[in-house]
Amino acid sequence: MVKSVLAPVQERGQVNLEKLGLPSRREEAWRLADLKRLEAMASLPPAEGVVEQSWPAVAQAVTRLVIGTEADPLETVQLPEGVSRLSDSELEQALGHTLDRCGCAETWPVELNHAHSRHVVALRVRGSVAPLEIVLAAGSGLVSTRVLLLLEEKAELDLLQVIPAERDHAAPPLAHSHVIEVHLGQEARLRHGLLASASGDASLLAHLAVEQEPRSSYDFVSVCRGWRFGRLEPRVLQVDGQATTRLNGLAMTGGDEQFATHTGVCFQGPEGALDQLQKAVAADRSHSIFNGAIQVPRAAQRTDASQLSRNLLLSSRARVDAKPELEIVADDVRCAHGATVSQLQQDQLFYLRSRGVAADEAAALLLKGYCCEVVDRLPAAAAPWLTSSAVSDPARPL
Amino acid sequence: MTSTSTRDLVSQPYKYGFVTEIETDKIAKGLSEDVVRLISAKKEEPDFLLQFRLKAFRHWLTLEEPDWAALGYPPIDYQDIVYYAAPKQQEKKASLDEVDPKLLETFDKLGIPLSEQKRLSNVAVDAVFDSVSIATTYKEKLAEHGVVFCSFSEAVKEHPDLIERYLGTVVASNDNYFAALNSAVFSDGSFVFIPKGVECPMELSTYFRINSGDTGQFERTLIVAEDGASVSYLEGCTAPMFDTNQLHAAVVELVALDDASIKYSTVQNWYAGDENGVGGIYNFVTKRGQCRGARSRISWTQVETGSAITWKYPSCVLQGADSVGEFYSVALTNNRQQADTGTKMVHVGPRTRSTIVSKGISAGHSSNSYRGLVQIGPGASGARNYSQCDSMLIGDQAGANTYPYIRSQQPDSAVEHEASTCRISEDQLFYLQSRGIGFEEAVSMMVSGFCRDVFNQLPMEFAAEADKLLALKLEGSVG
Amino acid sequence: MIRPDAELLLDISDLHASVEDQPILKGVNLQVRAGEVHAVMGRNGSGKSTLSKILAGHPAYRVTGGSVRYRGDDLFALEPEERARLGVFLGFQYPVEIPGVSNLEFLRVATNARRDAQGRDELDTFEFEDHVHEKLKVVQMDPAFLERSVNQGFSGGEKKRNEILQMALLEPVISILDETDSGLDIDALRIVASGVNQLASPDTASILITHYQRLLDEITPDYVHVMAAGRILRTGGRELALELEQIGYDWVDEQLAAEGVA
Repeated sequence: MVKSVLAPVQERGQVNLEKLGLPSRREEAWRLADLKRLEAMASLPPAEGVVEQSWPAVAQAVTRLVIGTEADPLETVQLPEGVSRLSDSELEQALGHTLDRCGCAETWPVELNHAHSRHVVALRVRGSVAPLEIVLAAGSGLVSTRVLLLLEEKAELDLLQVIPAERDHAAPPLAHSHVIEVHLGQEARLRHGLLASASGDASLLAHLAVEQEPRSSYDFVSVCRGWRFGRLEPRVLQVDGQATTRLNGLAMTGGDEQFATHTGVCFQGPEGALDQLQKAVAADRSHSIFNGAIQVPRAAQRTDASQLSRNLLLSSRARVDAKPELEIVADDVRCAHGATVSQLQQDQLFYLRSRGVAADEAAALLLKGYCCEVVDRLPAAAAPWLTSSAVSDPARPL
Repeated sequence: MTSTSTRDLVSQPYKYGFVTEIETDKIAKGLSEDVVRLISAKKEEPDFLLQFRLKAFRHWLTLEEPDWAALGYPPIDYQDIVYYAAPKQQEKKASLDEVDPKLLETFDKLGIPLSEQKRLSNVAVDAVFDSVSIATTYKEKLAEHGVVFCSFSEAVKEHPDLIERYLGTVVASNDNYFAALNSAVFSDGSFVFIPKGVECPMELSTYFRINSGDTGQFERTLIVAEDGASVSYLEGCTAPMFDTNQLHAAVVELVALDDASIKYSTVQNWYAGDENGVGGIYNFVTKRGQCRGARSRISWTQVETGSAITWKYPSCVLQGADSVGEFYSVALTNNRQQADTGTKMVHVGPRTRSTIVSKGISAGHSSNSYRGLVQIGPGASGARNYSQCDSMLIGDQAGANTYPYIRSQQPDSAVEHEASTCRISEDQLFYLQSRGIGFEEAVSMMVSGFCRDVFNQLPMEFAAEADKLLALKLEGSVG
Repeated sequence: MIRPDAELLLDISDLHASVEDQPILKGVNLQVRAGEVHAVMGRNGSGKSTLSKILAGHPAYRVTGGSVRYRGDDLFALEPEERARLGVFLGFQYPVEIPGVSNLEFLRVATNARRDAQGRDELDTFEFEDHVHEKLKVVQMDPAFLERSVNQGFSGGEKKRNEILQMALLEPVISILDETDSGLDIDALRIVASGVNQLASPDTASILITHYQRLLDEITPDYVHVMAAGRILRTGGRELALELEQIGYDWVDEQLAAEGVA
């Protein structure tokens, strides 16, 4: 039944992909991207097969949905009280609305997702509900997944998304394309975690579009590690200001990986707040990219926004690019941003070593401390995953 | 309760907006290889320079005008510009007494007296009027120290070897659209050469004046400081008020060898257009310094208050080990002005250090962007950068954008960037007022307090000037 | 010092005022003559600080009724800086920090603005330096604070001393000290109070806005006013402050209830 809704979306996606062509380096947003890898991931065959053995048991009171397989993820699951699936007609109306509002409807990663989407999990949340866990799973090939969440006025939800892509290094290439749309009604609260852990030849294009109504709260924590080619794009729109947005991200790259985080927050009304901390660790020959846009138009008086980008560069062959972008047209605002790139603090390392801790152990300790500031903010449902073999410990040295 | 609004006060007119009536030697509008050859011929240039121009021109034809800056302006018709204009006087005069008194009077009115009696006692001045340099003061005194300070055209004649050795080595003739255009058609500018071990005994200063309404100004400045040499240089700019836009596309190249130090300060007050954005200078400038030698230092200080459009990123390439780059900037935009300015600090050598302090003030309907790049190359171990970019917004119609770009490929380095946005708070204003300080004075105190870190870097003679200029520019914009 | 024939400096009559359309002052009456020290006490939210802000002309506060005459003239016809130049001084409860603006320069500009209004010669940088060092003694302030930005990074006590230093430099006719004692330890309080006492004269007056008796142990008031619900509920001599220390403010609620206000 969902298929009837998705058919036109797929069709449109295919047409637009043709029209857009692959992104080029002339486009500012793709200037640093490894376009060969992008092209390679886009041309993978449709995904097949999932290996679930290493997944941890579902935490208590948490409902797990698995998307990516052929099966309808909602068929066998009992949704928690307060959570219901959208009817086809509701879905038809709501799908793509937030993407449009956030200005990302016709971007290449989104169209790629459209062109290949087979399922969409579309849920409505009323009241304060039990935690949800959405696992995006695939064995190899290109998998497109899509989620739509409507949080009604005063609804509250903890959502953890996990992309477990730890595989054998010889396994055939795997690529995840994911799009999630979230609409937060007035006073709604969403704690949203994304734990994406990969190894081997794995790519990720994850696009988030979030619309916030006044007095809503959106708290996003992302922890990404091990993607040979990755791009995470959270776009948040405070439609009328007066909402609270918290973005916390950790991106770890090793080997010859490239991971890019492009965030965008736009305040369309007064008294909005943003608290953003993006961390990156780049080792080996990897390349870590952060681009963070904040827009404060004239209507957004008394906005209070802060953004901090902190980057650890662990190897002389690794590379970090950080580009905050602040655009302000309102005079009564507080906007601060900062960016740092450095290695581990030598005085801290020395302090630990002077207490008898071996150099590599001291470095591991400091790295763990650095990562925990973000990892510890993941929703509670992440705990069993973090100790399982399905994802690697994000704080483990690269 | 306080209803005073400086919006109600009469806005100070641009006081440098007059036109000097003088006969000029102008070539016809338009740009072609013939025009490039004509300019070179008029200046009786050696062949290497003509070839340099032609190469630049041919490359320029293949380029497209950049559009990545946060600027909006109607397309420029490059065929509708006069590329050479000079006041009619046969030769550059050996003595000031022979210079057309009208020109001397013009510079007098601009506050840059050139005549023996009135000239500034500790600053040597090169005065550039439209396309040519008309006078340089204190040349002899400087020559005693081996310092060369003259117009670019003179330098081509008298020191062709130095020009050939250094021209285009920092900003290549194909560096970017506007630099290529400048390389093809540049008319005059200043040349400074400080020989080994010499500390330049006085401030050097060039004053640029655009007079003609349809003339583009394309000056070229080259400053070379040899081992252990040091110099402080200041440029000032004004133009008459026309309701058409004039193009100014300059190139400035600085070369600092071992232990050399160059301090380059700019007070830019080109005509900015009227309050509706009619007229004003399009200021597209490429300024770059190369710290070629170990322990060398290049410091840019700019106070940008004029021009309808400013596109300018004075940069440092830190090649020599332990070299230091600095950028201190105040950019003020009001009415419909647009500025997209900042710097590039390219760390190549080990233990190179850079500091960026940028203060943007946006008022009226203006737009003010800081765009910067800090790049730490693989060889720049031990490199350090600290950047601070603050914006002050005055009124809710002005825009302030910040695009600080960091790229690092060297773990043993530290880059730190901080940015903040503020406005003049009602409480701070009230506090000053409640101590008897008038509204306008309170605002200008706060603005100059905001800019203090940058003004402190200006040569003393000009710091107070800059302060006053800012206060003047803001009049009528704070309500 | 109460002298009925002394000049009437400040005459507040049926003053009403509001902040963000919230009425705060609801009919304040108060007369202050030269030589007098008035204490205005009351709980948080009683309108004490609003009164001080209104007298100094803070733009966020709106007068909705009544009048204030300063030496016979309409105070509200004057901009904040004009009031300061004519001798009205507000010592702020929370002095703002102004980064980048040098304290010394600020003090000099302010002092000269006041001197100019008094028809006295302005002090040049050197004269002012001597002048300010003399005044620093009044509050025992370290000259190093002159070199910093206005109030930036000052401790609470240092900020208050900086306020009294400004008072010493501006030589006001009437000083309104808003909770000058808040956040001060006893030593700092004594220094500040002694500064205020040194600056007192038969031709000037002050209004001390405070919660506590302890400031009044150091500066003896001639009148004590109790504010509540936006007006002066009770006026007495210095003994009223001592009484308040004993009985607290609960009677205020009873009186207001009896009047049908609260």
